[in-house]
Amino acid sequence: MDEEHMLEAVRQKILEIMPQVDGVIALRRVGKGTAPHLFLPGDDLSELALFPQFPLPTPVRIIQAKYPDKRFAVVVRGCDERQLVEMAKRQQIFLDKLTMIGVACTKEQAEYCRCEMPFPKQVDVGETVEGIPQTFLDEFLAKPREERLAFWKHAFAKCIKCYGCRNICPECFCKECVLEDNLWVTSGTVPPPFPMFHLIRAMHTVGKCVACGECERTCPADIPLTILYKLLKRDVETVFNYYAGANPEEPPLMDSTIFLADMDMLHPPRR
Amino acid sequence: MSLPESNVQQPPYEPKIIGFLCNWCSYAGADLAGTSRLSYPPNIRIVRVQCSGRVSPELVLKAFHEGADGVIVLGCHIGDCHYIDGNHRTSKRIPMLRQLLAYAGIEPDRLRLEWVSAAEGERFATIVKEFTETVRALGPIKQVMVTG
Repeated sequence: MDEEHMLEAVRQKILEIMPQVDGVIALRRVGKGTAPHLFLPGDDLSELALFPQFPLPTPVRIIQAKYPDKRFAVVVRGCDERQLVEMAKRQQIFLDKLTMIGVACTKEQAEYCRCEMPFPKQVDVGETVEGIPQTFLDEFLAKPREERLAFWKHAFAKCIKCYGCRNICPECFCKECVLEDNLWVTSGTVPPPFPMFHLIRAMHTVGKCVACGECERTCPADIPLTILYKLLKRDVETVFNYYAGANPEEPPLMDSTIFLADMDMLHPPRR
Repeated sequence: MSLPESNVQQPPYEPKIIGFLCNWCSYAGADLAGTSRLSYPPNIRIVRVQCSGRVSPELVLKAFHEGADGVIVLGCHIGDCHYIDGNHRTSKRIPMLRQLLAYAGIEPDRLRLEWVSAAEGERFATIVKEFTETVRALGPIKQVMVTG
């Protein structure tokens, strides 16, 4: 299915759902790009867009906070849906007041995002395509430790501390962010001192990160952040059997009573 | 007046270790090691925290950043936590941080998590001895943080 057909199918779906909801959160074409938009009943849907993608969970959170009694629908890709589930677990959004219109990503899109799971649980529009194998993670891990260190030092040295990775991230909803605290990240220095900024953020996304890759795409310095986040996500999945965004009934990873009985269940690469 | 070159001796490398000890079990365990007259390396600098679950990743990373060669987190055994499930969080957080350190190219063995109860003074001394030797073998953190 090409993009125009998909768009038409999404329009149909929105028209179908519109009578039951107070508005639909989706992307709208603005110039050459897209921007999140709240379509109200009777609105013209000709400017509706799907790509280039933008994470919609943050607009959902903001709109739901402002209109807690209203019912909304949102056009979601696989990653949006999983992010919404993780946010609902932390009371940031309310799934019972939200209808999701699931869109499966195209093959090109999945390749562009190097996505493992380019489709939501419930697909309303589009055909599901296979996820992309994450071979680049093992290629990265095959490097010796010194090389990995040099790789990250080089990458993080490019950081201009724009906070773009944090601002775009739907899972970064804390009102007070440790990255803005002078105690942990010294203000007024660029790049941030080596292990502090990026490794703190990486640890804070453990169990919530669905590896959508928005942080990496938004980064003006092209820091390959997804390698770090995807490696951690893979550990969370294999060791704790916790799949971010899979089950809204499950408690968040850190709040759960899961514990690591055997510390050797994790094998950090030592070489 | 400067000393002749040959007389200046570089002091042998002694690792600096920060220990985050939970107030209810491990700190009492360390206390028991002391009152039992057990000897353990003086390299460890103990920070008492209310719960090992309070040890956030920032604390550990900051310790490394400020020049700690090793960080050890000691808490109550699973099931013994004064706050019921505080150490369950630790048991997920610290191993994940070890993974992250390894991915970022820092030796994961510089960070260690162990459970030490208030009655395990001897175990405390053994763990600190072992960990000090591990960190000594890894060398100063400076070579990780500054070069490259």
